[in-house]
Amino acid sequence: MALHLNLLHEEIQEQRQRQRDPLKLGLIALGAIGALFFLYYMWQGYRVLQVKNQLSVAEAEWAKVEPKVTSAQKRATDLSGTINTTRILDDKIHARVYWGPILERIARCVAPNTQIVSLDGMVDAKNAVAISLEGVAAGAEPRSVAEDLRQMLFEQLGKHYPDVSVEFKSLEDLDTQVSIGGSNVPTARYFLKISFQAGTPATADAAAAPRLEKAP
Amino acid sequence: MKKIDLSKDQLQKVILSLLGFAALIYVYFTFFLGPLDRSAASMKASINDLQTKVAASKSEITKEAQLEREAGSATARFAELRSHTPEGAPIAWFPPRMRTFFASHEIDKATARLESSEDYKNPALEKWTRYHWSIELPGAGYNELGKAIADLENAEPLFAVSEVKIHTLPDDPRNQVVDLRVTTTLAKR
Repeated sequence: MALHLNLLHEEIQEQRQRQRDPLKLGLIALGAIGALFFLYYMWQGYRVLQVKNQLSVAEAEWAKVEPKVTSAQKRATDLSGTINTTRILDDKIHARVYWGPILERIARCVAPNTQIVSLDGMVDAKNAVAISLEGVAAGAEPRSVAEDLRQMLFEQLGKHYPDVSVEFKSLEDLDTQVSIGGSNVPTARYFLKISFQAGTPATADAAAAPRLEKAP
Repeated sequence: MKKIDLSKDQLQKVILSLLGFAALIYVYFTFFLGPLDRSAASMKASINDLQTKVAASKSEITKEAQLEREAGSATARFAELRSHTPEGAPIAWFPPRMRTFFASHEIDKATARLESSEDYKNPALEKWTRYHWSIELPGAGYNELGKAIADLENAEPLFAVSEVKIHTLPDDPRNQVVDLRVTTTLAKR
């Protein structure tokens, strides 16, 4: 076996040490990792640019839609207000008390031998109608004529309105006589108090108030 | 396991390399990747927000179109109700209108007086006002009066009679003195 003499041992040792220099190796590793990070950063930057483009598209679409939706919202608010107001006004219209038919029904009850001197009627917030009738009845039995009128009023009004009440407030004989059909008959003065319910009053949130009759 | 023998100089260099690596990591994530990710996340959130708004607005526009179709009759009805209020102050046009109306029903000398007016508390009726009027008819036949009131109630939907007082004239039993209290709902002009 041949004998080898390494006369450059120290130089080789130094060269190996230079090659294994931790700082050099660290810098190489750092550079490699830095390059990878840079590539990843570029890739991420590209993705962000894509997202930015998507955002631009979305903003352009919104800019196109926004005026339309703003105007649509305003219009919808106006329409809702109109619908609501119309509904409330219609409720009020349907719930009001028609006096034309009431006066007509009272007139139909008045026989030729009675006369109404005064009529005071009013309707309250709950659509309850109160009427005071003052009049004169004439006949052989004037009180009975007045009672006939009371019953007729009760019957006629009861056909159309609930909770009808017709009561005498007073009924008194008069000294005066009137001529009916050529003969003089005694008279009586009556005060009648009439009350009834004329429908459901309108309320702001009433869905649909029952419709009352229309005046003839 | 092979033991790595490092000289003091080499150990310092290893530590320096590690410090450099840590600094690189910190700078990269804090000043480069972090802001980029935050920016992307913020933009994605904005896109989602805009897409939600666009989707919602499309449904809003559809609803408005639907409402427009449904509101056709209500809008016409509303316009019709508003048309019952002429331009100008009610005190200027209502009394002459009543005088003319009752005159056309053979009831002369009708006078109408404004008693009070009030705004509705309901916000839906904020553009409407309630007026209370007193109408005096010094000489009216009962039948003519009934017909006139019925016609008025039919012609004026926002007109409501709240009180009726009819008294016969002692000298003229065929004619009555009539006092009406009426309420009208009128649009604010």
